[in-house]
Amino acid sequence: MHPRLPLRRAARTCCLFAGAVLAAAPLILTAGAQQLPPADLVFKNATVMTASHGTIEHGSVWVHAGKIAGVGATVDAPASATIVDASGLWLTPGIIDPHSHSALSNDVNEMTSPVTPSMHMIDAFDNRDKALYQALAGGVTTELLLHGSANMIGGQAVVIKNKFGLDRDAMIFPNAHGSIKFASGENPKRVYGSRDQLPSTRMGNFEVMRMAFEDAKAYMATWDAYNAKVAKGDKDAVAPKRDLKLEALADVLRGKLYVQIHCYRADEFLTEEAIAKEYGYKIRAFHHALEMYKVADKIAADQTAIATFADWWGYKDEAWDAIPWNAVMSMRHGIKVALKSDSNDHIRRLNQEAGKMVHYGGATEDEAIRMVTLNPAWIIGVDDYTGSIDVGKDADIVLWNLDPLSTYARAQRVYIDGDLFFDASLPGLGTTHFSGVMHDAGGGGSDDEGDGQ
Amino acid sequence: MKKLLLIALLLFTAPAWLTAADALKKVIAITGGKLLTVSHGTIENGVLVIADGKIAAVGEVGKVNVPAGAEIVDAHGLTVYPGLIDPESNFGLTEISADENSNDLAEPSDEIMPHMHVADAFHSETELIPVARLNGITNAVVAPATSDSIAGQDIFIQMYGADRDQMILGRDVALAMNYGADQRRRRGKPEYPSTRMGLITQLRQTFLDVQDYEARRDAAAKKDDKTFKRDLKLEALIPYLKGQRPVVIGVYEAYDIEVIMGLAQEFHLKVILNHVTHSQEVLDKIAAWKVPVIIGSIYDFPLANERYDAVYTLPAELAKRGVKIAISSADAGGPTSSHSARNLPYAAGFAVAYGLPYDEALKAITLNVAEMFGFGDTLGSLDVGKTANVVLANGDPLDVRTDVKQVYIQGVAVPMVSRQTKLRDEYSK
Repeated sequence: MHPRLPLRRAARTCCLFAGAVLAAAPLILTAGAQQLPPADLVFKNATVMTASHGTIEHGSVWVHAGKIAGVGATVDAPASATIVDASGLWLTPGIIDPHSHSALSNDVNEMTSPVTPSMHMIDAFDNRDKALYQALAGGVTTELLLHGSANMIGGQAVVIKNKFGLDRDAMIFPNAHGSIKFASGENPKRVYGSRDQLPSTRMGNFEVMRMAFEDAKAYMATWDAYNAKVAKGDKDAVAPKRDLKLEALADVLRGKLYVQIHCYRADEFLTEEAIAKEYGYKIRAFHHALEMYKVADKIAADQTAIATFADWWGYKDEAWDAIPWNAVMSMRHGIKVALKSDSNDHIRRLNQEAGKMVHYGGATEDEAIRMVTLNPAWIIGVDDYTGSIDVGKDADIVLWNLDPLSTYARAQRVYIDGDLFFDASLPGLGTTHFSGVMHDAGGGGSDDEGDGQ
Repeated sequence: MKKLLLIALLLFTAPAWLTAADALKKVIAITGGKLLTVSHGTIENGVLVIADGKIAAVGEVGKVNVPAGAEIVDAHGLTVYPGLIDPESNFGLTEISADENSNDLAEPSDEIMPHMHVADAFHSETELIPVARLNGITNAVVAPATSDSIAGQDIFIQMYGADRDQMILGRDVALAMNYGADQRRRRGKPEYPSTRMGLITQLRQTFLDVQDYEARRDAAAKKDDKTFKRDLKLEALIPYLKGQRPVVIGVYEAYDIEVIMGLAQEFHLKVILNHVTHSQEVLDKIAAWKVPVIIGSIYDFPLANERYDAVYTLPAELAKRGVKIAISSADAGGPTSSHSARNLPYAAGFAVAYGLPYDEALKAITLNVAEMFGFGDTLGSLDVGKTANVVLANGDPLDVRTDVKQVYIQGVAVPMVSRQTKLRDEYSK
């Protein structure tokens, strides 16, 4: 059994399948037992969009103990496996949103300083926010919850699995890589400029970053000097004071945190890459990145991905040159491209945003589905665990009534770690683990939320 | 080099309207396409003839006479449908949302601003129009933003033309009204009106003032009293209080709908309800009132503990009750406005995903909108005699994957170019 699976999962899984799929009486009676055999589950006869190795017509996917154990025209599941007849349905990996501000009770921006790397979004995570439920019903199984874009260096992100209804800890993605949010451009300019503070320009933007990293380098050197003394046996060495802000920045310089940067303009991508090289860290992804099509050939060499909108534009000056072909044009230059929501609205239909890429630039269906599954998984750093239908990965699976890239597709069922969390055919909410009252943070769940605009 | 190309493109696109007069006279036969007529079903292998900017013939291949000398457009494999009509937009009232200098969205100095004419602010060269047009939107209602109880008067536009006057097909076609929490901007301040009670009373007093003004104005006219001073604000409301033109009432919550409809009935307004996205409890009443409804946004959020599709299913629920519906491009509280109007067909498609019959969905963004705003005789379907606003696409118009290949407005093949295609082409070299 995978260590990341809570013990109670097996019991729950059996209950659900018994209720929703077939009346397997012997299975439910063992609910609550500690030594339950791992559930085997087979989805049969689906159109399986793997996101990693094409689409399998009339394919099967075998789930064992919450992990994908087999995928293909046939699978070697045991005879005891629960069978889900997915005839006429499409099966995809769970949708992954690499840029969400959902479920943070509107505590998105600690905009009291342009450098706040020791903020942790996990401290604001409200696991009963209705936005999580509405995203789940749209097939979203994993989200990167990011700090807003008021600050040049914002807080550290939290990766969640959208197991709506479970407790807070059970929704944190286990072993996920850490990420930190940076931002440049209009938002920090506006927020601090309106207070007559640094930074009110892009000159100020980037100098604030450089100054912060100089602070971090000095801090690291102080600790190195102390550690060297200790190593030499100096008993009088006095440890420097631990500073959470500088430690977080040091973690950036040590490459321990993936750097996720909110920025829009082509010149900013170049500046950000230059600063990253100067201080020796890598940029995992540019977020928004609406002008990437202008410099994609250059940025591709840096192996920085983008998490972009399908077709948003014109809402501010730095979004004026946005074009809906950005994603596909950047992809053709070798950039890994994800689509993201930055919105409690669009997160509910990222599959359609992917569908638009067939229209805008002629992405293949395979390329399009990858933009909302495997590619965002890579950006977040969870692609070893999820994002495609491959053996060994978490069984994060969505069944759709139609091709998920069409306008008409609805998520019928959503499984996370092999466990059913949403079933549209159920009366009421369609949830399987949730009871009680949802919270409503208000607002639209965007970057700019509460930044004073 | 890139600049040169841009100039070349501009030169290429600019003359389109210089020759528009000639284009209007041109006869075009679009043959072999699948025609979605909206008014009389689907013709699988159809012909549509355009002459003098109007639809001259529609029918099956072989049964329609293609005039000699007509320009033949081969539409095999393409879907042909009437231009889409957005029932609520702010085209020409905004360019860059965050740039206040580019916004002429509403006049918030007072709640009652019926004398604000969208026609006076409409910037016909806006970049938003070509962007939306490329996805098959050929007409739109342009309305002020929703901050006022009475925000002003809408225009009905065509999305192509040499100038503002060609593009505005109708001025002051409807009155934009709003009721609910958003208009309580004096809430918490010692100023009237700060509550819903205040908003409704203010509206009722205004309507009474209009009736009083009209009587005094008419009396003065009879006496040929030259000293009578016109009151533009009150005068603007007269046609609406006579029920001569529609009043579009933006309202979300069921309890607000009941209150505002009570007032509207008291003064016999010709109502089109707008938004109604949290009104599930009063759908039967809406049907009984026999008022048409603009649904926007279908993406508005359900309340906490409501089923996820509570709003997605609204178009289907209203249509099922016999309500005439339109679907608008409005976003769910997002930062964009008519920037995303190009997604109008997808909103209609999403309504289909949640139960609305396909034909009703297509009507909700074509013929129904035309009829609601007084253009049912000239727009909204592929019928002989109507304006030739016609779209050719490589598939189902409501599917996000479909690519629009050509848009005709008044029979003119509109250049399939926007600022965005120019940027795409410039950086694709």
